[in-house]
Amino acid sequence: MALQPVAKLPFEGLIADARSHKLGKWHSKLSERALEQYAEIGWPGPKTESWKYTSLNKIASGTFSLAREYSAIVPEDMIMPLTCPRLVLVNGVLNKELSNLEQLIGNLSITSLVDIEDHQKTFFDDLFKSEESKGDLPLTYLNTAILSDAVMLEITEGSKCELPLHIISIGSGNGITFAPRLIVNVGIGAKVDFIESHVGCSDSVYFSNSVTQLYLGDNSEVGHYKLQNDSRDSSHISLTRAVIDDGASYDNFTMSVGAKLSRNEVRAHLKGSGVECCINGAYLGAADQHIDNTTFIEHQAEGSSSREVFKGVLDDTARGVFQGKILVHPEAQKTDGYQMNRAMLLSDKAEIDSKPELEIYADDVRCSHGATVGELEDELIFYLCARGIDRESARRMLIGAYISDAIDEVKNIDIRSSIQSVAENWLKQNLYEK
Amino acid sequence: MSLLSIRDLHATVGGNEILKGINLEIGPGEIHAVMGPNGSGKSTLSYVLAGREGYEVTRGTIAFKGKDLIDLAADERANEGVFLAFQYPVEVPGVVGMTFLREAYNAKLRYLGKQEIDAMEFLKFVRSRAKTLNMSDDMLKRAVNVGFSGGEKKRNEILQMAVLEPDLAILDETDSGLDIDALKLVSDGVNELRSENRSMLIITHYQRLLNYIQPDHVHVLAHGKIQRSGGKELALELEAKGYAEFSEEAA
Repeated sequence: MALQPVAKLPFEGLIADARSHKLGKWHSKLSERALEQYAEIGWPGPKTESWKYTSLNKIASGTFSLAREYSAIVPEDMIMPLTCPRLVLVNGVLNKELSNLEQLIGNLSITSLVDIEDHQKTFFDDLFKSEESKGDLPLTYLNTAILSDAVMLEITEGSKCELPLHIISIGSGNGITFAPRLIVNVGIGAKVDFIESHVGCSDSVYFSNSVTQLYLGDNSEVGHYKLQNDSRDSSHISLTRAVIDDGASYDNFTMSVGAKLSRNEVRAHLKGSGVECCINGAYLGAADQHIDNTTFIEHQAEGSSSREVFKGVLDDTARGVFQGKILVHPEAQKTDGYQMNRAMLLSDKAEIDSKPELEIYADDVRCSHGATVGELEDELIFYLCARGIDRESARRMLIGAYISDAIDEVKNIDIRSSIQSVAENWLKQNLYEK
Repeated sequence: MSLLSIRDLHATVGGNEILKGINLEIGPGEIHAVMGPNGSGKSTLSYVLAGREGYEVTRGTIAFKGKDLIDLAADERANEGVFLAFQYPVEVPGVVGMTFLREAYNAKLRYLGKQEIDAMEFLKFVRSRAKTLNMSDDMLKRAVNVGFSGGEKKRNEILQMAVLEPDLAILDETDSGLDIDALKLVSDGVNELRSENRSMLIITHYQRLLNYIQPDHVHVLAHGKIQRSGGKELALELEAKGYAEFSEEAA
């Protein structure tokens, strides 16, 4: 069978289109620069080390157009079940009518690129530049090159946000691509929790190429929780990048259940000392889903700690990928790092690829990592059945317990139970014995 | 009428015939002990009664309260009133003891067409049962058996039995791995549960458990068959003479 020819630079044709589209001249310049960088690195192929286990061929050879519709109905049963202020993006563009921000107090400001004049956008310039000097992230450049909007959240110094903010990114339409972009700037000593729900309207098939960048000021406290529940035939590729200053704490969790192909890449740069950083997650895959969690934690200063706990359950021919790299710079003495990925395979054809990687240049550090893969033991199921619990319920209980071990890492209790209910729903819908 | 009536029971595990024609009648309130050398089929008998997958009945019948057990799944047997106290209770990570007990208890109520129990009421009920077995609230808050000592695991089995109130309790090598204090505690728990409506089948290699839980009948199982039956004095005889006589029969 002849392979479909893969364009040298996928999506190149859409980029010119995107420039004249929504953001005016300012974006043209930014986009040109991004295209150059994207072209220089090229599309990740099988020889790109960080994409070894996740192939983007299907996306590259697909036919996509830019999304032009920015309204939709929020698929309430897909998003994280929470009652709190919302910010809704449809195909990457802020939709104010669907958003509900009245309850937010004044110490959080929201700016959409679409709303401001070109001369005001120069402020964003630096943010984009600093992001893009970070190297080997072609899809981030692509995101910049085809932006239709970008939303910046700023939390002023010292303010404590009592309610979390729910950012809902909806994909709507067939054969479209879009590039959600969030920038979160947390002031010194500020405290905020926010959630990203990535979902799709029913039957939509799209490629969402999402980027979220965060800056955590000294001693700030941020909870950042994400649900990837995109439409089942869609692709979700995302990068989360957090730069964390002295004494700040960052609690990140990704729950991945949707899309046919997904990659959640989280990169945390622990610039400051005394940082506490948690990058956790859970993934549940069935049918032919492919779920990739890639993390990179960079310890740059002394006395910071990082913790990673990932747990996954894979059924049918689902495939999971976990790549976790911890880099400890020479000056990052007294670093404490822990990483664990555990997966449970429910079928002979399910697969997990786990690749931990430690790169340590300091001598006084404590770093450990581990990975396990297992199956649901018959002995366990029988034990529950012998107490009167039927086989289906027993399986659900045991798998639910397995996954909740990771979900328990979430520090915000309300959000933890929301994530728990997402997992329970998934188990109800997907776990039946074949 | 017998509570449990086993007739000519043959069973295989992985294609090997382990039980080769067991006959056993257990009446209501009776305590029977099945003793035998290692590899005689004692544990197989307990798993076959509890309905573990992979233990295949090839011939014979098992009637429990007049119902054919063989066609029932393990959970249905449990809800009919069969309880197996495991020789090696399994650790169930992530499932809290109290939740586990409530799920099991409610499963039985649902099976019997009754309404589920109120959570507070159930908590009180479990606490009263746990007290007898000297089990703390803390143990009930932890994941089932995770990090428990051998003695704690066995006590936890007996607690489950006390909560689920079975008509037939099968105790598979409950004494194994217990020191004398733990053995006494567990036996007291079991004796507390003796009643004229509850029968027990005690499977054990050694006689010592039977000093604490006195059986009405003792059977010797060897080579997949019951070779001899008698009263509790049979256990003492075995203790003195060992199982040699039964292995010679095979030779």
